[in-house]
Amino acid sequence: MKLLKYIWRNVTRNKLRSSLTILSVAFSLALMTVLYGYLAMQDSWGQEAIKKNRIVVMNKQGFSGSLPIAYIDRIRSTEGVLNAVPYAWFGGNYQEQKMPFAQFGTDPKNVFEVWNEWKIAPEQLSAWQDDRQGCIADRKLAEKRQWKIGDRIPLQGTFYPINLDLKLVGVFDSPTYSDSILFNWTYMDEELRKISPEASGNSGTIFARCRSTDLIPSVVDAIDEKFSNSDNPTRTQTEAAFAQMFADMLGNIKSYIRNIALAVIFSLTLVAGTAMAMSMRERTTEVAVLKAIGFSKSRILSMVLGESTIISMLGGLLGIAAGGLCLHGLHSVSAQFFPLSIFELAGPWLLGLIAVGIGIGFVSGLVPAIQAARISVVDGLRRVI
Amino acid sequence: MTSVFSEPIVSIENVSKEYQRDAFVIPVLSGIDLQLMAGDYVSLMGPSGSGKSTLLNLIAGLDKPTSGRIHACGQDLCNSSEGELAKWRSRHIGFIFQLYNLIPVLTAYENVELPLTLTSLNRRQRDEHVKAAMEVVGLLDRMDHYPRQLSGGQEQRVSIARAIATDPTLIVADEPTGDLDAKSGGEILDLMTRLNEEFQKTIIMVTHDPDAAQRAKRMLLLGKGVLISDTRQQASHV
Repeated sequence: MKLLKYIWRNVTRNKLRSSLTILSVAFSLALMTVLYGYLAMQDSWGQEAIKKNRIVVMNKQGFSGSLPIAYIDRIRSTEGVLNAVPYAWFGGNYQEQKMPFAQFGTDPKNVFEVWNEWKIAPEQLSAWQDDRQGCIADRKLAEKRQWKIGDRIPLQGTFYPINLDLKLVGVFDSPTYSDSILFNWTYMDEELRKISPEASGNSGTIFARCRSTDLIPSVVDAIDEKFSNSDNPTRTQTEAAFAQMFADMLGNIKSYIRNIALAVIFSLTLVAGTAMAMSMRERTTEVAVLKAIGFSKSRILSMVLGESTIISMLGGLLGIAAGGLCLHGLHSVSAQFFPLSIFELAGPWLLGLIAVGIGIGFVSGLVPAIQAARISVVDGLRRVI
Repeated sequence: MTSVFSEPIVSIENVSKEYQRDAFVIPVLSGIDLQLMAGDYVSLMGPSGSGKSTLLNLIAGLDKPTSGRIHACGQDLCNSSEGELAKWRSRHIGFIFQLYNLIPVLTAYENVELPLTLTSLNRRQRDEHVKAAMEVVGLLDRMDHYPRQLSGGQEQRVSIARAIATDPTLIVADEPTGDLDAKSGGEILDLMTRLNEEFQKTIIMVTHDPDAAQRAKRMLLLGKGVLISDTRQQASHV
């Protein structure tokens, strides 16, 4: 602790070099924070979904197919199913903004039994159930958009060849920001029938809630078995598996991210090590003087390691803060794709990144520190004697 | 600031030193016998390559002889580990270098405090030591200055303050006036004389300057690695 001031002065001795090293660590750690934050979000969605006993039924062909709405009653009648609702992604533009938030057509009478963690005032739920053009919004989305009850929310269809003229009749609270509005599937279907009757009567996915976690495997099998010989066979899975499917659509992203992270850590260690080695080479005489007046090898070693670790840790903390801000920005701008904030995502992985920041400094400083500790006093002083 | 030794502080017996450079063995010192007594002020002279700095390094425990024995301040320097020598230096040796070698990122105060951080002294005690040393060299008003803000003479005085802050048994000076003008050099030599006479510090100083050598009580002359003369003299004051 007595030498902390000296170590800090060495950190700030060559401000340009230290700043560039800190920035290189910061930039890489910011990138890793965003990537690992995305992975943590995927994991979090899956972990949360497991607790809710929800399953997702979709066409066996994947997202290119849809399911007849009549399937819903047959799914509800499956042993172990509590309730089921259509969940049709609309993907419309709003005020010339391309899909700025998520929009789903569903069943106002039953949706809160499937998503029982969502809360809404009874009178607003009743108003939604009574108004076919009514819609409800996630409270945070309504606040962000400054919507008030009674506001019109016109959506221009992109995937569907129809426009919807919705009216906000309520807001709901969800534990995690869903960034979505929910409207009556029937309204969308009626509009679709007017233009494209053959496309109506379907939903892209059907969400169902099971009575208990234990029943999920048998329910999944029973539903798929029930529709196996129909024109639209189903693929039923847990919501967690459904979440994982999105990640899998991007390929083996976890593996890619981890490999990229390893490469980044390796190159960063070399960059930081080079900077530290240059710094120590310039200070050969100074280290020799320190050793002459009695500084031991271990003290020199710990001073150099302390210096490199502080530089790297500063870069790491700066990068993680910047990455956190990026995640926060992505969450604010596009919560439908980044539904969790950095505070909700914070976990062991974040501590792991801080450890990476510190570890890079320690490892990169190891060789220069050992070299400094081994400097011969006589050789080091020869320059000046 | 007094020395506790009544016997020789440094005892050198038949010391030789050779360096290996590729296939060549270069003899630097040969058969040196020498004793430094407590309170000595010794100047070490000789032409370049005569082995002055090598002898100084051996006495200060920075290097080990090829043969012979060196005892200094109660320590057998030939049979001590690097760690033991580092600890011994921090307790017994004060260094004054030709180019001062202050740490540029530390203030004068912090430079003087640096060797004290190796001791068990607390902050208040270190502060007392630093201020006492800075007072001796007359730089109490420059304690917050960085080396770049000081003249060469002032830097060397800070270097001397650093050397005496731990109250060492022996001060080792390698051409302390070699990089200074005549006036500043004279002030440094006055200061060293004062350290010897007023504070009874034992000093060994390498110098090329005959006038500087005349200030010492004893003058050693080296030539081609051999001690040519060892003269007691009446110290002169300029």
